[in-house]
Amino acid sequence: MPAASSIRALVVDDQLTMRALVRAGLQQIGMTDIREAADGEAGLRVLLEKPAHLVVTDFNMPKLDGLGLLRAIRSHPPLRTTAVIMLTGRADAELVQRAVQYGVNNYLVKPFTVATLKEKIEAVFGQLT
Amino acid sequence: MDPMEAIRVTFFQECEELLAQLEEGLLAMEQGEHDAETINSVFRAVHSIKGGGGAFGLDPLVRFAHVFENLLDQIRGGVTEAGHEVIAALLRASDMLADHVSAARDGGTADEARSDAIAAALVALTEGEAHGGDEAAPAEFEGLSFTPMTVALDDEPAGAAQAAWIIRFKPHASLYNKANDAVLVLRELGSLGRIEVEVDAEAVPLLDAMDPEGAYLDWTVRLTGEADEAAVREVFSFVDEDCDLDIAAADAAPDAAIDLLSSLLAIGTAGAEAPPLLAPAIEDIIAAAPAGAPGKAETAPAKAAESAALPAPQTIRVDLERVDRLINLVGELVINQAMLAQRVMESSGAGQASDVNLALADLEHLTRGIQDSVMAIRAQPVKSVFQRMPRLVREVGEAVGKRVRLVTEGENTEVDKTVVERLSEPITHMIRNAIDHGLESPADREAAGKPAEGSVRLTAGHRSGRIVIEVSDDGKGVDRARVKAKAIEKGLIAADAVLTDEEIDNLIFLPGFSTAAAISDISGRGVGMDVVKKSVQALGGRISISSQPGQGSRFTMSLPLTLAVLDGMVVSVGDQTLVAPLTAIVESLKPRPEEVRPLGPDNFVLQIRDVYVPLIDIGQAMGFSRTRVDPTEGVALLVESEGAGRVALMVDNIQGQRQVVIKSLEANYRPTEGVAAATILGDGRVALILDIDGVVTANRRVANRRDPPAREPLARTGT
Repeated sequence: MPAASSIRALVVDDQLTMRALVRAGLQQIGMTDIREAADGEAGLRVLLEKPAHLVVTDFNMPKLDGLGLLRAIRSHPPLRTTAVIMLTGRADAELVQRAVQYGVNNYLVKPFTVATLKEKIEAVFGQLT
Repeated sequence: MDPMEAIRVTFFQECEELLAQLEEGLLAMEQGEHDAETINSVFRAVHSIKGGGGAFGLDPLVRFAHVFENLLDQIRGGVTEAGHEVIAALLRASDMLADHVSAARDGGTADEARSDAIAAALVALTEGEAHGGDEAAPAEFEGLSFTPMTVALDDEPAGAAQAAWIIRFKPHASLYNKANDAVLVLRELGSLGRIEVEVDAEAVPLLDAMDPEGAYLDWTVRLTGEADEAAVREVFSFVDEDCDLDIAAADAAPDAAIDLLSSLLAIGTAGAEAPPLLAPAIEDIIAAAPAGAPGKAETAPAKAAESAALPAPQTIRVDLERVDRLINLVGELVINQAMLAQRVMESSGAGQASDVNLALADLEHLTRGIQDSVMAIRAQPVKSVFQRMPRLVREVGEAVGKRVRLVTEGENTEVDKTVVERLSEPITHMIRNAIDHGLESPADREAAGKPAEGSVRLTAGHRSGRIVIEVSDDGKGVDRARVKAKAIEKGLIAADAVLTDEEIDNLIFLPGFSTAAAISDISGRGVGMDVVKKSVQALGGRISISSQPGQGSRFTMSLPLTLAVLDGMVVSVGDQTLVAPLTAIVESLKPRPEEVRPLGPDNFVLQIRDVYVPLIDIGQAMGFSRTRVDPTEGVALLVESEGAGRVALMVDNIQGQRQVVIKSLEANYRPTEGVAAATILGDGRVALILDIDGVVTANRRVANRRDPPAREPLARTGT
């Protein structure tokens, strides 16, 4: 049972509001080490500086979108153990399918509750303490 | 503030940006830009507003955004073509979405009937059933399996993963005197990660010259590990006053990091040719990557490398109150600097090139620099106001049945935030006026050999330390015969008045003037150009019109860049020092006895060239002195007042012209008639800044009570 406080997270979304909401959710779950990036490219830069255990990323973003970020993460061995949860605005089955192909660890449909966020993270890491 | 409330505030701020992005994108599409990025940015804006709206349970907004998004999604996917009609519908939808946002922000509801009608129009343009079209979209998909993970990171991640610090540590003798030991510090540093220590013993003298209690060694430590800068500083917390300490992030082979970033970006962007170092892991990905966008794939790495090498400009959001506090302090600094300069000059005499004077000149230079930089923090492009105008043009054009194209220029021109905020009203009014009164109907335009679509130009630019905003149209120009007839009818000018074209054009700024034959819903409502003039003057600005019959009209506003400082004329009245805003002053002169004529028992007029203007004694008007100054002894300031045209203000003498920092009288005392604000002069005295219009209005009231019919029609005295 990993401690939520031991998880280093990165939130990637071009929308400030959404980043703030995800951050607030993660904090409520008990995470403390949370970084943010405004698009996939910035997210990748942050990860190369210092890897994270968990990336919660939006799908549609300028520069590098969520799928692109996911592929970049999966192709870089040092980042291979990074769990990626994709945020999607529309219940778009096709999009989620593609993300699964690229190795996404779970997905979350906006708007979400903290309970769902926690549920999805626990589906990846097991129950959090 | 509760965190959700704070996020809500952020959401609405962000919505403003997204709505602007939406409108900008749609207008670009209207101009024929149909590239994927433009369409996607439009889609993303609506999508993001919907996403945030969902989080805050703003159902009507989300429902509307959903329909909007569906149509955009089809355009993005090439299912629906973004023709003229579609874009017009999208623009209407973006206006409606903006209404939904402001309604949600203010806790109300938008016009539901209108929202439903526009939503229905969007649905009609959307082909068949848009995907994901149902409200109750399933939040769970069946048959997907995800890989669980453990919370673990590779031990030594390659790439620029770990933080590294270069620490230069040079203890002073005092460190050892306080019974601290450099070795202990280094050892503690070692507990933070792997350290490589180098000692520099160059400074150690020969034994006979050595002070046994001196400190001669300095160390350079390279620390690799997880520690952040604060943790590193913590180690030195007991000794940092007794040593030279320099902590810098080690440059972990930046070129390699950029190479890595750009190759990963290339993979992410297009599944482009794999860089060799990652080859084995990538083949699968390339296989899985969707085909297409080959052109993009070629350019992506170069572009990515470029953006990786150039970090984006960083911004922070700062509470406006903090900025205002800073501005206020800088204002004090400017005053203090002026006071200091004056004191020094008085004690040492002017023109003395002493060290103090030179240092003072430097100080003045620095103070100006700080003031300019601080003002620049508050400076904002006028874009935020200009952006609201396309919607206005659409709505007004639709309401009066005219086709209008708005051209904007110079929207990145910067001006103080308070000025930007107050620009909206006069610009809105001038644009309404231009469409309603300036432009002809499409039929009339065609008859006059002009294109049916009228054009309104809105431009902004800097000119000699002021911002100049122009609103021009290619309509019929001012109908001078009608304006003059109207002015005579309203008693604003004498029936036999002889006016130049320019003077006639400027009559429209007189209070209560309205030329619309039938007061229309658009620029009627009893508000005329006089209101525009008033709001421009309240900002310390001027407005003028020039017009060519059949060719159109142009309104020009000139405004100060900031409301924090003012160019003023410092004058003496009795034992008081006052400041008159320079923008209001047309000229100053010494009246000759034959130019001053009495008008009734207490009033005088001053003849300037061949016109008579009312003469107001400032000392009496403001209650500083009981007796009237002999006009031939003092100086007359010829000022442009609102409503009363030109007026001469009598003062004792002029001290000079200078920039003063405006201090609000309302905030520090209470509003006072005839006084706009206060300032502090170089000698430390408080001086009141005259509100010219206030003084003139107050004086007219007094004069009217005493002697109502004694005035000439005012416009006759105008130029």
